[in-house]
Amino acid sequence: MKYLTILLIGSMSLMGASTEVVQYMNELSSVAKTENKSFAGFDAARGKEIFTSTHTGKQGKPMSCTSCHTTNLSNSGKNSLTGKVIEPLSPKANPQRLTSAKEVKKWLKRNFVDVYAREGTAQEKGDVLTYIIKN
Amino acid sequence: MKTFLNISLAAALFVGGVYLYADDDEMEHARPAYSKPLSKQDQASAALYKKECGACHMAYQAGFLPKRSWEKTMSGLGNHFGTDATMDSADTKMIQSYLMTYASTDNRITDVKGAVALRISQTPHFVKEHREITQKMLTQPEVKSIANCTACHTKADTGSYREREIHIPNYGRWE
Repeated sequence: MKYLTILLIGSMSLMGASTEVVQYMNELSSVAKTENKSFAGFDAARGKEIFTSTHTGKQGKPMSCTSCHTTNLSNSGKNSLTGKVIEPLSPKANPQRLTSAKEVKKWLKRNFVDVYAREGTAQEKGDVLTYIIKN
Repeated sequence: MKTFLNISLAAALFVGGVYLYADDDEMEHARPAYSKPLSKQDQASAALYKKECGACHMAYQAGFLPKRSWEKTMSGLGNHFGTDATMDSADTKMIQSYLMTYASTDNRITDVKGAVALRISQTPHFVKEHREITQKMLTQPEVKSIANCTACHTKADTGSYREREIHIPNYGRWE
């Protein structure tokens, strides 16, 4: 059991997300299964499409996640409205990322609304998180 | 001799401090309760305010707006100047209560003819202090908008807006 725990923690840190964020992703996965019968796990490629495509945002203007975060997740970005610097999203470049489920939930809710003018589904959120972890 | 030096050094520091203080002709509009040290609770709230609101823009000092303005701001975070700035209800409440505690009580500075101002830049004292600032200064990429205090007020995030600390990008000091 002890080894299993060590192995589990080790693989999570390799994944780039903390235990509580991994737990949150498992919750998203269960919801995604109930919402989409053909759901077969999160997908980084779908996440990339969600992250890089342009949509009509909350303000009725074209908007993309990359408008603020740029296309390179290891680089810092800039809030497109205020100009404030945003630290890199990639946990490899910024170890603070994906450590708090509370932070992750807050920003996913806000940013889906800002870019898509609606909240993201469980599958979309999980896909984006998977993309961020892998980049 | 050493003692004498120490005393004169202390005296010089004291006089310097008084000089600095007296030189500050700016109104202390940043935080009315400056002299009172913050309680443990308020320190925690202030830190939360800085973390949450400061993630997107400078955490403007509470004293820039009256209570009613902060109340409206905090109850409208779902559409905060066109973006979703919502957070969980415990954090929202804590920040709102902090802002209300340190809100402006001076109508001459912040009252917009009885209306509820949401933008600090529309309040009378702010308008007066920035009357000589041109659109060109504000719209340049280094500044972006008048909401970006720290672009020119180099110590704005500490609550200090002294004239000698002003440096307008591509224009220089304010003299």
